[in-house]
Amino acid sequence: MRGLIIIAAALALAGCESEPKVTFTDAAITLPDDPLELPEGPGREAVLENCTACHSPSTMLQQPKVSAEKWQSIAEKMIKVYKAPVDPKAIPQIVQYMVAVQ
Amino acid sequence: APVLAQELGQMIDLGLPGGPSLRPLTPAFPGKGEMIVQRIRPPLLETPMEAFSEGTITPNDRMFVRWNWDMPSAVKAADHRVAVGGAVKAPLSLTLDDIANAGEHVEVTAINQCAGNGRGLSEPRVTGTQWGNGAMGCAKWTGVRLKDVLAKAGVAAGATRVRFAGLDVPLTDGAPQFIKSIPLDIAMRDDVLVAWGMNGEPLPLLHGYPLRIVVPGWFSTYWVKMLSTIEVLTGEDDSYYVAKSYRMPAAPITPDDKDFPTVSITTMPPRAFITSHADGAALARGKPLALEGIAMGGDAALARVDLVGQGLELPCELGPDEGRYAFRRWSVTLPAVMQDLAGIGVRAANANGIVQPETLVWNPSGYARNVIERITLRAQ
Ligand code: HEC
Repeated sequence: MRGLIIIAAALALAGCESEPKVTFTDAAITLPDDPLELPEGPGREAVLENCTACHSPSTMLQQPKVSAEKWQSIAEKMIKVYKAPVDPKAIPQIVQYMVAVQ
Repeated sequence: APVLAQELGQMIDLGLPGGPSLRPLTPAFPGKGEMIVQRIRPPLLETPMEAFSEGTITPNDRMFVRWNWDMPSAVKAADHRVAVGGAVKAPLSLTLDDIANAGEHVEVTAINQCAGNGRGLSEPRVTGTQWGNGAMGCAKWTGVRLKDVLAKAGVAAGATRVRFAGLDVPLTDGAPQFIKSIPLDIAMRDDVLVAWGMNGEPLPLLHGYPLRIVVPGWFSTYWVKMLSTIEVLTGEDDSYYVAKSYRMPAAPITPDDKDFPTVSITTMPPRAFITSHADGAALARGKPLALEGIAMGGDAALARVDLVGQGLELPCELGPDEGRYAFRRWSVTLPAVMQDLAGIGVRAANANGIVQPETLVWNPSGYARNVIERITLRAQ
């Protein structure tokens, strides 16, 4: 996947008396698949079901080690701020899993 | 689409205190070279520090990538419109050609830096994207002045701010869209652009094709990508990403402080980096040591760079000046070095007299890091 695969606008230079002509063309890319890799452990399913719709698991896995209370508040922020459709009953499992895999 | 996992052979250590510090390094993203993967979806790609070891311009294939919500992966040029509305005399819907014809074409060399650049190095650690120092880059941006686009619609009396939205929208109903605004006087600056060109090429989709806002000297959170709406406001901006997020304590706090007033992060402070040597690298005992790197003044021109640590305070020589918002190279040579050099760093100061601090001015979101970055070199 090396190299530019976007073939978009060409910035062609015209004479000095007028502005250079800018041409915009259609652009499209194919982003890499997200393998949704999460280490095994109790609560893994709850995280896959509730926390990976909007972002890769690395969002969670790359965080510094934080407390269960902090994971609880992160999950609550996802629901309150970002309207994450998280099953409230799954939160204890999510918290437990995150604390365990960190 | 390629399965990234199969290509994730190589890992890079970002040196984040307490970890996790290893990240995949991959060229698997379209149009990108070797990049550090912070997140596949929405993409968060960091530039490895070695990309800054030569020159001042970050090539498009090495520029960091940051999206808050999923990004559209296709744009139809003929269908794209930029709505100009709010407190304007005549609301408009502009085509890409209308934008390109809105005024003089301007090129600005400016550093694009994430407000959270270096967050992963915060101590105590804070949550959020765990960037090393590679969420920055410097490019030549081409476009028209935002004020020329605004003039087409005519800014109405009472205007206070100009807000931008792009094609990236939340995945859930009621979640905040990533919209950002700047004060009107900043929007009217001669170097604030609606840009389509990045280092002489069309903006890559990952960087906001077809248009993005460029606000030199300000953190890139304001450089809204895939621009689709320009909205003139008459009051404060109470939208989430301005009123609630991307904010810093108004005055320094400690990690134990809970309730404190906050201000929006806006302009960038000065920073400097050693690019010739990584932390822990070897130096030749008894030989002169040539160090070099890059520095930035932030929202003002770079004034000076000094090598500090180990009782040193040595002025560095500055390379060519490519404009107040661009990276500038620095270099310095130490006479014969006999032992390890522990905790040396470079300290930038800008034309406004702002100097990089010795210790981190900690904040709970890890924004606007500009503590002197230090490395240790081992004599061999
Ligand atoms: C509706 C979408 C959505 C869902 C579902 C969701 N998140 Fe998030 N999450 C976000 C957004 C948006 C961000 C901010 C992304 C950014 O800044 O790039 C975020 C960021 C984060 C972060 C980074 C720290 C921070 O506060 O920015 C963590 C950790 C996180 N989410 C964990 C979770 C967990 C755990 C769950 C499941 C309980 C979850 N997310 C479910 C949307 C979601």
